[in-house]
Amino acid sequence: MKPPVVAMRGIVKRFEGVTALDGVDFELRGGEIHGLLGENGAGKTTLMNVLYGLQEPEAGTIEVDGRPVRLRSSQDAIAHGIGMVHQHFMLVPTLTVAENMLLGERGGLLVRRRRLRAAAERIRERAERYGLEVNPDARVWQLSVGEQQRVEILRALYRDARVLILDEPTASLTPPETEQLLPRLRALADEGAAIVFITHHLEEVLAWTDRITVLRHGKLVETVRPQETSAVALARSMVGRDVTLKELGVEVSTADETGHAPTSDAPLLAVRGLECRGDLGVTALHGVEFALYGGEIVAIAGVEGNGQAELEEVLCGLRPPTAGTVAIAGRDVTHEPTAARLARGLGIVPSDRYRRGVIRALPVAENLVFDRIGELPFGTPFRVRRKAVASRARELVDRFSIRVSRLDQLAGTLSGGNAQRIVLARALSRGVRLLLAAQPTRGLDVGGMEFVWARLDEARRAGVGILLVSTDLDEVMALADRCCVLYRGRIVASWSRRELDRERIGLAMGGVVEAPGRPAGAGEVLTRR
Amino acid sequence: MNWSDIVGLGLFASGLQLAMPTALAAVGEAFSERAGVLNLGLEGMMLGGALAAFAADYHSGSAAVGVLAGVGVGVLLGALKAFLSVTLKTEQVINGIVLVIFVQGVTAFAYERLFGSAGTQPEIPALQTVRVPGLASVPWVGPVVFEQNVLFYVSLALVPAVWLLLQRTSFGLAVRAVGESPAAADSVAVRVDLVRWLALLVCGAMAGFAGAVLVIGDVTLFGTNVTAGRGWVAVALVIFGRWNPLIVFGGALLFGITDALQLRIQAASGGSNSAVPFEVFQALPYVLTLAVMVLATVAQRRSAQPAALGIPFRKEVIE
Amino acid sequence: MTAAETGFVLPGVSRRGAQARTLLVSAAGVVLAFLVGGLLVLVAGGRPVAAFRSMFSGTLGSGFAIGELLVTAAPLLLIGLGLALAFRGRVYNIGAEGQLFVGALAGGTVALELGGPGPLLIALAMVAGIAGGALWASVVGVLRARFRVNEVISSLLMNYVGIFGFDYVVRKPLGDPAAGNALASRQLPDETMLPSIPHLFAHVGIFVALGAVPVVWYAMRVTPFGFRVRMMGLNPEATQVAGVDTRRLIVVLMAVSGGLAGLAGVIQVVGVEGRMDGGISASYGFTAIVVALLGRLTAPGVLAAALLIAFLNVGGQAMSVDNGLPYSIVLAIEGVFVLFVLIADRFARAAR
Repeated sequence: MKPPVVAMRGIVKRFEGVTALDGVDFELRGGEIHGLLGENGAGKTTLMNVLYGLQEPEAGTIEVDGRPVRLRSSQDAIAHGIGMVHQHFMLVPTLTVAENMLLGERGGLLVRRRRLRAAAERIRERAERYGLEVNPDARVWQLSVGEQQRVEILRALYRDARVLILDEPTASLTPPETEQLLPRLRALADEGAAIVFITHHLEEVLAWTDRITVLRHGKLVETVRPQETSAVALARSMVGRDVTLKELGVEVSTADETGHAPTSDAPLLAVRGLECRGDLGVTALHGVEFALYGGEIVAIAGVEGNGQAELEEVLCGLRPPTAGTVAIAGRDVTHEPTAARLARGLGIVPSDRYRRGVIRALPVAENLVFDRIGELPFGTPFRVRRKAVASRARELVDRFSIRVSRLDQLAGTLSGGNAQRIVLARALSRGVRLLLAAQPTRGLDVGGMEFVWARLDEARRAGVGILLVSTDLDEVMALADRCCVLYRGRIVASWSRRELDRERIGLAMGGVVEAPGRPAGAGEVLTRR
Repeated sequence: MNWSDIVGLGLFASGLQLAMPTALAAVGEAFSERAGVLNLGLEGMMLGGALAAFAADYHSGSAAVGVLAGVGVGVLLGALKAFLSVTLKTEQVINGIVLVIFVQGVTAFAYERLFGSAGTQPEIPALQTVRVPGLASVPWVGPVVFEQNVLFYVSLALVPAVWLLLQRTSFGLAVRAVGESPAAADSVAVRVDLVRWLALLVCGAMAGFAGAVLVIGDVTLFGTNVTAGRGWVAVALVIFGRWNPLIVFGGALLFGITDALQLRIQAASGGSNSAVPFEVFQALPYVLTLAVMVLATVAQRRSAQPAALGIPFRKEVIE
Repeated sequence: MTAAETGFVLPGVSRRGAQARTLLVSAAGVVLAFLVGGLLVLVAGGRPVAAFRSMFSGTLGSGFAIGELLVTAAPLLLIGLGLALAFRGRVYNIGAEGQLFVGALAGGTVALELGGPGPLLIALAMVAGIAGGALWASVVGVLRARFRVNEVISSLLMNYVGIFGFDYVVRKPLGDPAAGNALASRQLPDETMLPSIPHLFAHVGIFVALGAVPVVWYAMRVTPFGFRVRMMGLNPEATQVAGVDTRRLIVVLMAVSGGLAGLAGVIQVVGVEGRMDGGISASYGFTAIVVALLGRLTAPGVLAAALLIAFLNVGGQAMSVDNGLPYSIVLAIEGVFVLFVLIADRFARAAR
């Protein structure tokens, strides 16, 4: 029998005392799609980073085609025919597709036109062969997320990769794009490539892979064939205990069938005709309109890069809109700074928690109250009251079960889940009426996710109006009372809880709105149900 | 006041000569900023290059040796800046200012040590004007561009060379990539820190050369304030030129011509007794730079600034 | 990692180890500065011991010398405090030199042109100087806050504009006809000069500078304002999301640091020169950057650094006169010193 293309044995990797990989075996054969499953932090990405030469293991061996190899850099990995497509694309947005392919390639100081043209030719040839069309002369920032992913895969193929590692390739794709991608991966495997497919979508794994490896806490749990297992069994091996599928968000409904009735008469948040430009100067929001009342969760669903980030920034007051208005609790705050919005009862859970949610170099205690540091009881204009800060912090640490060793521990040393608890604790403890929760569970494990969802639900019951900006369909299905879909900067569809349908939302996220699905008429969304 | 004396071909010829040091430094700065390193030490690099060039020229009697010395010191200072910014990853604004202060202190001492503080100011011979046969007789352009000294021609050739290096070579591709998205460059085995180091050496060489051109090709004297803020102006011009070396260079030339214009008006209007105070003219280039920088910053819709400018690269574990 | 990212010593947080290392680096820096100084003296053909002796006697050897030291330290201290505050918020004002001259111009004009009782005029001059420096610096602040114009370059360029403006006013409208075209204004009347401290040969303006130390310390360490400045320096976006008006804060930091520079300028006019001329600043606006950085952006640190740099500057003059050595040795020492501290600080942090 031919040796496996890749055989990893007893791989151990530690980060500052934490064992990320604890003697993991992993084997990959030519022509197979191998699913790699595990919770956040289970070690999936670390294992693949080891295989791609980004991290060196402390112990263990790696064989490629039966010969032991040492992979000290991605270059070594590439030389052995291993290619990786990261979850966050590793492309330079200002360069063209062809330039991105040439980047890092050895040979020749000059990039002559001829070389670029040869590269473009080769890209076209590969693209055609695998059905991954893309224009080699386009600049990457002009491409859609799906196209960028194609570029990433093409780049690996361009370098003659026989092993292709895909880290959560479907996470940022629309359902239609996903449906396009998976058969192409199958075709690649049929030509002999070995493909590692990291994901946490159980259905995708079951439907499209030949074998599945499950990791938990850095240890190998099992390697099975999809025919021999089920979604429930896989979920159990991932979490290590019996879980209901609800917890995994596979099919959830925490909101009841009809959704929660709003508790306020006037909208807490009214957005009309909102337009703004993105970082690259292109219009990122087109006439966005919606209204949000107390006691309900309105989800803004959509795939990343369709205006969510810009919407979040405009609502926070970080990005000036070019047209339209934003009103909070009846007052126009379109041109008011963030402080005025917070004073109107806005609470913010930013999507990028380390950039906007916490200040890493400040202690936990200060992070928990830094938005009110000059207000009583935390201080007067002339003096910060350290004791009041500390006692409130202690209380919040308990209430939100934030795991810290000391209150003066720096926020930068906390895990993502704990950092998010700080952000949530701060936002919810200041008497909010309106909460903007942007990607509140991104990157959190199941426990963290449950916690956040429970808090959001609790706040809703207390009458807070919540705008949930989310790319996670499960989250939207679990929480939303109403849902709008943002696609290329427009709200292309909106539904009430009764009308919520996974498939329809999925299609709308890809820009496909069924004829009967109501388009986002302005009046429609603004009127109460 | 005779306007035809002021706005003649001579204006453009001297404007180009005046602009060249700033233009060269600005092109170097554009290069380093495209690699993602903000070099606020430019003024110091020019000053260091200027002193080295002056001293070497003075003692050897050879302008070529002077230029080499200037470039060499520029490269050394580029290495220092790279060590501080790329290797140690100290804050780039701070280390740039510190570099300027360091060079100002050391050059002041070195100049006094080498030439003494009293007595007549030492001077080096001016370079001869070289008429380019044929081209110099082209009307209008000839007398402006082709009746200059050798350093001018070298400078003129260097700018497109830097542009080619950035746009047409693998190294340039890597420079553009690490300035925009170092993590992406790193993922395909581009050595981010090495590329940034090299970019700073290029920038240092350009700044040192700019200093040499200033003292050897133009003023023929050295003073501790000989650069007179040209390095800072150059940094501003990079913003104006949207980080494109060619536009940056063009902007610097325009700037030099305005500078020459104010000098001529100032001279023609009778110095300290003129109705318009000469301080107005002296301040004009700086006001103009400021205005141009503000306008360029406000006007640009799509930011041309390299996305990773000023941010040290740290390899992070993607999990 | 940058100083700002790693965080400075936080109020209420015990960072004894970090403080100890900082002190160690400073001490090593001082030792190195003297070693380098000695070396440069040798290079210049002098005798280090003699040079240092005259440095000490020129700064600490007599009441006059001590007065000179304090008078030189005063502007460095005032400006350095303002810059430390601004740098904490990552607002890099390097236009203090111009702000000093504009402040001196505003205050000096008040003292020269307005009539009235001396003490009142001096007070008015100081207010005018603060306002002048603050307004001048605010332009830079507004440009950064509104249009994201890089404040390092704009404040630097504004230096030239401010100084040429100063030159014009003292040459022409307020110029001394007797001095011809010299860059000096008319002499101030005696009653608008700051009184001297008996036996110390220093004007009382040094108390203003010393008094600013606890005020700035309190503002930085105790008040919500200081906390917000630190927040902005560590993470401007999170600070904005937390409801701090960072645009306003940027302008305020520019205005405060510019105002202190302006005040320093007025004190130089009414305390030292007695008229407006170029002698009011020996590049104090730039040297204060060194002071702020060496003082690690803390008020007590700036006090120590200002005294040290003043010691080098005044002592350097004495050394130069006594031993015939170039004064520029001092400039070189300062340059090496600040470079060393930047590097050593980085290693001290890495050693954690």
